[in-house]
Amino acid sequence: MLLAVLIANFEGNILVERFNGVPAEERLHWRSFLVKLGADNLKGVKNEELLVASHRSVYIVYTVLGDVSIFVVGKDEYDELALAEAIFVISSALKDVCGKPPTERLFLDKYGKICLCLDEIVWKGLLENTDKERIKRLVRLKPPTEF
Amino acid sequence: MAQPLVKKDDDRDDEAEYSPFLGIEKGAVLQEARVFNDPQLDARRCSQVITKLLYLLNQGETFTKIEATEVFFSVTKLFQSRDIGLRRMVYLMIKELSPSADEVIIVTSSLMKDMNSRTDMYRANAIRVLCRITDGTLLTQIERYLKQAIVDKNPVVASAALVSGIHLLQTNPEIVKRWSNEVQEAVQSRAALVQFHALALLHQIRQNDRLAVSKLVTSLTKGTVRSPLAQCLLIRYTSQVIRESGVNTQTGDRPFYDYLEGCLRHKAEMVIFEAARAITVLSGVTTRELTPAITVLQLFLSSSKPVLRFAAVRTLNKVAMTHPMAVTNCNIDMESLISDQNRSIATLAITTLLKTGNESSVDRLMKQITNFMSDIADEFKIVVVDAIRSLCLKFPLKYRSLMNFLSNILREEGGFEYKKAIVDSIVILIRDIPDAKESGLLHLCEFIEDCEFTYLSTQILHFLGNEGPKTSDPSKYIRYIYNRVILENATVRASAVSTLAKFGAMIDSLKPRIFILLRRCLFDNDDEVRDRATLYLNTLGGDGSVVETDKDVKEFLFGSLDIPLTNMETSLKNYIQNPSEEPFDINSVPKEVKSQPLVEKKAPGKKPTGLGAPPTGPTSTADTYERILSSIPEFTSFGKLFKSSAPVELTEAETEYAVNVVKHIFDRHVVFQYNCTNTIPEQLLENVFVIVDASEAEEFSEVGSKPLKSLPYDTPGQTFVAFEKPEGVPAVGKFSNMLRFTVKEVDTSTGEAEDDGVEDEYQLEDFEVVAADYMVKVGVSNFRNAWESMGPDFERIDEYGLGPRESLAEAVSTVINLLGMQPCEGTEVVPSNSRSHSCLLSGLYIGNMKVLVRLSFGIDASKEVAMKLAVRSEDENVSDTIHDIVASG
Repeated sequence: MLLAVLIANFEGNILVERFNGVPAEERLHWRSFLVKLGADNLKGVKNEELLVASHRSVYIVYTVLGDVSIFVVGKDEYDELALAEAIFVISSALKDVCGKPPTERLFLDKYGKICLCLDEIVWKGLLENTDKERIKRLVRLKPPTEF
Repeated sequence: MAQPLVKKDDDRDDEAEYSPFLGIEKGAVLQEARVFNDPQLDARRCSQVITKLLYLLNQGETFTKIEATEVFFSVTKLFQSRDIGLRRMVYLMIKELSPSADEVIIVTSSLMKDMNSRTDMYRANAIRVLCRITDGTLLTQIERYLKQAIVDKNPVVASAALVSGIHLLQTNPEIVKRWSNEVQEAVQSRAALVQFHALALLHQIRQNDRLAVSKLVTSLTKGTVRSPLAQCLLIRYTSQVIRESGVNTQTGDRPFYDYLEGCLRHKAEMVIFEAARAITVLSGVTTRELTPAITVLQLFLSSSKPVLRFAAVRTLNKVAMTHPMAVTNCNIDMESLISDQNRSIATLAITTLLKTGNESSVDRLMKQITNFMSDIADEFKIVVVDAIRSLCLKFPLKYRSLMNFLSNILREEGGFEYKKAIVDSIVILIRDIPDAKESGLLHLCEFIEDCEFTYLSTQILHFLGNEGPKTSDPSKYIRYIYNRVILENATVRASAVSTLAKFGAMIDSLKPRIFILLRRCLFDNDDEVRDRATLYLNTLGGDGSVVETDKDVKEFLFGSLDIPLTNMETSLKNYIQNPSEEPFDINSVPKEVKSQPLVEKKAPGKKPTGLGAPPTGPTSTADTYERILSSIPEFTSFGKLFKSSAPVELTEAETEYAVNVVKHIFDRHVVFQYNCTNTIPEQLLENVFVIVDASEAEEFSEVGSKPLKSLPYDTPGQTFVAFEKPEGVPAVGKFSNMLRFTVKEVDTSTGEAEDDGVEDEYQLEDFEVVAADYMVKVGVSNFRNAWESMGPDFERIDEYGLGPRESLAEAVSTVINLLGMQPCEGTEVVPSNSRSHSCLLSGLYIGNMKVLVRLSFGIDASKEVAMKLAVRSEDENVSDTIHDIVASG
């Protein structure tokens, strides 16, 4: 299960937070844990360089893209490698929507589109689409090209 | 951040000011959402409002029931718009709002219409939304469409239906299971993602049908798998099939191994890792099978990508637990990872090295770790501490340097969990390595001199009270304990008073001095401290009164409360609620343990965790068992419990009733504890018991049983059957079991069961009582000393031919398991390619007889294994019995 996708700005403010199968009372804990993890480790990291951590039986892969940091959390079959795949899709989609690694402003400007992309990528904790070209078409309700 | 800024700093400031969501407020957005009700819909405006709503929801904001309903109803109006972008937003919004069952009806018709639309993408999205908000009844109505969608030629529609199926399987399994033909077809799809989703769903549908899974794996491993993700799934399922099928005994080949090995050369890293992991967890994996997997993992250790390094070191860390020798080749790469920027990787590297290191490398490693400890977080330090504890138990002769390391880090800064982990480790080392006791206790004493955690201070004082009096010079601890009375808070002071009393009770020569100290405590400003001091002075006779017998005093001070605390709490609450003139009677508290203890279910065979466990040695699980058994009057005459086995599963996973058995061994009896769990919410089981057929266990005769009155859904319960057997004889035999019960239907909405029930039975698997059940694993710190001091009086030596074996390691582990003894000094690990091996074992045989065993193995070119067995014990019959066990095993 892909337990969470969280996107935050540098100050640690949450921009997008999507949890799957995480009880409401644990979400706050996860949020602060991830933000702290980012604050401790993301300084000086290059765009899309993946960092990894594990906390109990849960894996976390996170990175920086422009002005935002992206965290994905998973367990069981969503181990560090599957999460790396997921975060790769998410960052590609973000770059695609924003046209470049986004500034915070640009990210917020494209917020609706980004939500749609995330909806296509992760559905209730399962990875659904992985190809950015297809995602780009799907959010506009266009059928995939290869079909 | 280091990356170049796209715009100048001042531009960024401007941008921030104009954030589209600046000052966003829920109430205002909800007001804005009224635009959804406009007769002339402005699609752009509506999309903007939905974006704001999504922003709020994605920030963790919640809507009240009324707010959500209002927004939901308004959003449904947007189906009138033909704007495609808006429609996509509407789909998402409905999913996010997850409307309640009574509201769903409003959108069903719109969604059903979209589901049959000619526009493929409407179909895909409508399926996803419907499946998210649907319940069982609606699902039956749309099932036909979903089955069509699974085999739709548009991959997005097919994927939408398949992923919906995966989610729906949790709530409506019986419906989704009917789709297996369509899903089977989708597995053959040319679209990569459809195949991936179909494979996941098909496996979930058929996971309990071994044959079907095996067929699926056989066909796909020969066919084409189109995406790395699907390939990973296939490797996982293959691994499951291998686990269940075992090695081909004739050729020695393992089915599908070639497939896994082939995947090690796949171009996707994800697949390579999955295959490597699958190989490393094969049961009884040989060095030949392991080598290619270890080689690829070793290459990844020096990858530039942290994720790959992490994945590699994590996998090798696991391998090191079972096959430390196989990982030693990677030690050099691993050592360079100690300084890895990523602390998770560094910690995993350290703990792997601690597992693979040999006795001679311990000191060098400790030096490296000392530097590393200062710059990692507590959570990683805890992992390292745990690894050091295991290392110390493996190489007890190294206890000095490891204990020193622990005491040094105990003095440094750290949070509660970290300090607790260190203290727990020291306590375990004290218990398991007698030589480490005195120095360990002194380290703990020094720690409580400056300990900020009340909990740890009290726990250490309790432990000190139990262990300190048994040391060569108990008086040296008194100073540390009494300092607590002077310097600490009331809770710690009270604990210290109890500890002082324990020293007084155990050591007569210290008694007068302890009395002086306890009398000083009578003037403490805390009533609990004064009360304890008064009580102990009175019990020990320090106030000149007539004292109770020595046995009673010790029982009082050292005995544990033999009543489950939850029962005590309930009884006390009842007593307070119904005021009475009579004083509370502790004997009125029921001793029966209501539900299965957690330790037993979650962590079978877990080692005692330091201070949490009772001090005299038995594991916490054993203690729980003892308490359960002593609460059953029929079994109290059986005497002291010698050993309880690990639970043996008598049912397969995912069956209606999950049952496992724990074998409790007494001198003249065995008691089988059947732990039962009812996994069907619609059933209540009553009068549950097990009919045991002992016709293949001639020396056993049934003497009693204790049925379980009631077994509700998901609340584990226990039923027992007791057998008599000849005293001191390691009687063995096979037992067949049938679970009998009365089953009553339960209305899941009210939770009430029907009055009438039906008798039913359920066949359980057989299990055996074997010789190893009469042996307790007890390690010795220095085998040679123990061997010499046992002397050759009852030594028995003989040689055995074990016939052709798979490998030397396999032969060694078979003999260890047969005897059920504790391997000492890490000798259970056989270096790869070695042709001979010595293994040292220690244990306690029934009747509390210490047994030591020296095994020497040799293997020849034709894989014939010969073994020399030397046994020393405290009784010649026991030595002979060990030989009998090996001879008949």
